[in-house]
Amino acid sequence: MTNLYLGVDIGSVSINIVAIDEENELAFKLYTRNSGNPIELVKEGLTKFKEEIELEEYKIRGVGVTGSGRQLIAYVLGADTVKNEITAHARASTYYHPEAGTIFEIGGQDSKLIIVEDGIAVDFAMNTVCAAGTGSFLDHQAERLGVPIEEFGELALEADRDVRIAGRCTVFAESDMISKQQYGFTKPEIINGLSEALVRNYMNNLVRNRVLEGEYIFQGGVAANIGIKAAFEEEIGAEVIVPEHHDVMGAIGIAMLAKRDVKRSGQESSFRGFDLTRQEFETTSFECEDCANNCEVIKVIADGKIIAVTGDRCGKWSASLIGDSAAAESRSRNKENTAARTAEEENKDFNKTAEELEVDLYKIDPEKEKQVMKELEELEEQEEELEDSDTDDKEDNVYV
Amino acid sequence: MRLSFPYMGPTIVYKKLLELLGHDVVMPPKPNKEIIDLGVKYSPEFACFPFKVITGIYLKLMEKWVDTLVTSGGHGPCRAGYFGEVHKKILQDLGYDVEIIVIDSPHDDYKYFYEVIKRLKGDSSWLQVGRVIKTVYQLTKVLDEIEKKVEILRAYNDKGTINRIWMDAQEEFYQIKNTADIKRIKNKYLNKLAKFDKSIPAEAERYRIGIIGEIYVVLEQSINNQIEEKVNRFGFEVERSQYLTDWIRENIFPFTGKDLEEIEKKGEEFIEADIGGHARSNMGHAIDFKEKGFDGIIHLKPFGCLPELVSQSVADDLSEKYEIPVLSITIDEQTADANVLTRVEAFLDMIKEKDYREVM
Repeated sequence: MTNLYLGVDIGSVSINIVAIDEENELAFKLYTRNSGNPIELVKEGLTKFKEEIELEEYKIRGVGVTGSGRQLIAYVLGADTVKNEITAHARASTYYHPEAGTIFEIGGQDSKLIIVEDGIAVDFAMNTVCAAGTGSFLDHQAERLGVPIEEFGELALEADRDVRIAGRCTVFAESDMISKQQYGFTKPEIINGLSEALVRNYMNNLVRNRVLEGEYIFQGGVAANIGIKAAFEEEIGAEVIVPEHHDVMGAIGIAMLAKRDVKRSGQESSFRGFDLTRQEFETTSFECEDCANNCEVIKVIADGKIIAVTGDRCGKWSASLIGDSAAAESRSRNKENTAARTAEEENKDFNKTAEELEVDLYKIDPEKEKQVMKELEELEEQEEELEDSDTDDKEDNVYV
Repeated sequence: MRLSFPYMGPTIVYKKLLELLGHDVVMPPKPNKEIIDLGVKYSPEFACFPFKVITGIYLKLMEKWVDTLVTSGGHGPCRAGYFGEVHKKILQDLGYDVEIIVIDSPHDDYKYFYEVIKRLKGDSSWLQVGRVIKTVYQLTKVLDEIEKKVEILRAYNDKGTINRIWMDAQEEFYQIKNTADIKRIKNKYLNKLAKFDKSIPAEAERYRIGIIGEIYVVLEQSINNQIEEKVNRFGFEVERSQYLTDWIRENIFPFTGKDLEEIEKKGEEFIEADIGGHARSNMGHAIDFKEKGFDGIIHLKPFGCLPELVSQSVADDLSEKYEIPVLSITIDEQTADANVLTRVEAFLDMIKEKDYREVM
């Protein structure tokens, strides 16, 4: 029996599933485009996994989910680890490239920069305001030029001349591209210009004034594009490494993190099993109107049974669920909670006054207080005198 | 006069202040999607985010026949100083005849402050005013004390349970009549919270994050994507640079100590001139947090905020010199919750990873 750890990366453009063994060797790898229904795609992916692998020989010991759609899928799968993609990516690349200093990660809708020191992420940046500098930007332009995105990179290398294209905004890039076509630049040159624009954007928005140090790792879906890789190399003047599994690094990283978490806690995986591929999932949400917070509460339902409730700040709705499949995080939370509750029962000493904490910050300056109160008294007297002398002016006194 | 005010932080305090002075006070609505949309629609596009939220709140209040709004001013080149005037103009253009009373800090212009208070005091005597301010200050102090405790305990306990206690406490404080009530309720809730004290781990295992930034987004949970709860969720304690007491001490309360000035002085190392808002004191708070042994700083900046834009740039240098990681988050109506969560989580992971080497 071999132990396997499942890693699932729910990105905006692709959904990736991998399975790694104890030695971090890949036993299964799947990269699919996200067409908008992540639950179905994950189910399909798992079905494929079942077909490819002799299930009797393997045991799923842990499941990790990352990517922007991680919360929902974590409930669906019964994940042990739910983590953001930055941590996951950093984990995978520092495993394959322990000497890494800088990680460029360009995905479908976001781009990230991770600075690593001695195998630990020490700083990161993420694109802030728009799609410029991401895979979607390239996708859009490829479509516009009628070039399949897979051939984009190679074409860029055929360029003879340099052309500068405004790359900050997808729409403006398009109008600039059209005018550059009129000047007689060829397709490869335009594509090369776009690649350079993307890298320039990345440097301006993410790297800013940071000092980059090698090795340089380039991963994410866009790393398949050798034109962008070349543009990066030109910009920083050093070699850029594209890891073998660059497209599923997030999934590998999260599988590794799941393995770590399961080992550390020593618990069984809360994976809901392969039966889930036959279940129907549904999510509903409503706005709770019990108080001014107006929390948006989300329910995840599997075959008519509620498996997760989240989003409420006071815990009223999530506590109503006695679930078996909530993420590991919330399970451990509940444990702590019961511990706290027993503590509460023990401690029924209601009369005990809480410790009086007089924080420095709140101290009143007694001198100032005396002075102000004295001033106020004087004011009061002055006004009384005024009132005595001229009662008609009273209105004016109140409204100055 | 039918009075109201912008919603910021635990609003009981302002309501109590105005009520104790004998006014008819309308409780402003808590910012939500509808209010923010309304505010964005009727505000100038390039106004900063707090301005837009407040516009929304005012417009919502107009439905309740409020005729006077009380708000705070700002000092230095920060646009908060113009909020009152511009809001008045927007409301007038929309056909609402309202008056906006702007409270400026007594430290800036004592005479103007005196006149504003004179208007607000109505029929109460000056001595009463003094007492009311003292009671309200007492209340704020207690609220902040409980909130600080909540921000620590939420890191180690079920967030719902702790939030519930905090919400109940705020509700109960609405009923207070005098300082004895304040003390009684305070003890009640601090006792409730004290039962969870055991959950706090040993000093070496505690992680603390300081939150600095523009006062409105730091104080108001409903517009900052509940950043504190997000941080707490990952087992990190939180402390903010700004609490209600700070605002009151700065703007209303005349007899406070000197500690705020000292913190601001620390910030002078990075921002020499007063550029308005809390930019300089934020830098001071960041250094102060580091000195108190905090592990990281989250800097909140509303979109379009000038002073915080400056402090964001300076924060890079501060981070390097004082060796404390800083994460800047820009907040406006476009900010997606998932995005903030990802950044915060990655930031906190980064801080924790530094401390232990893993088994691969």
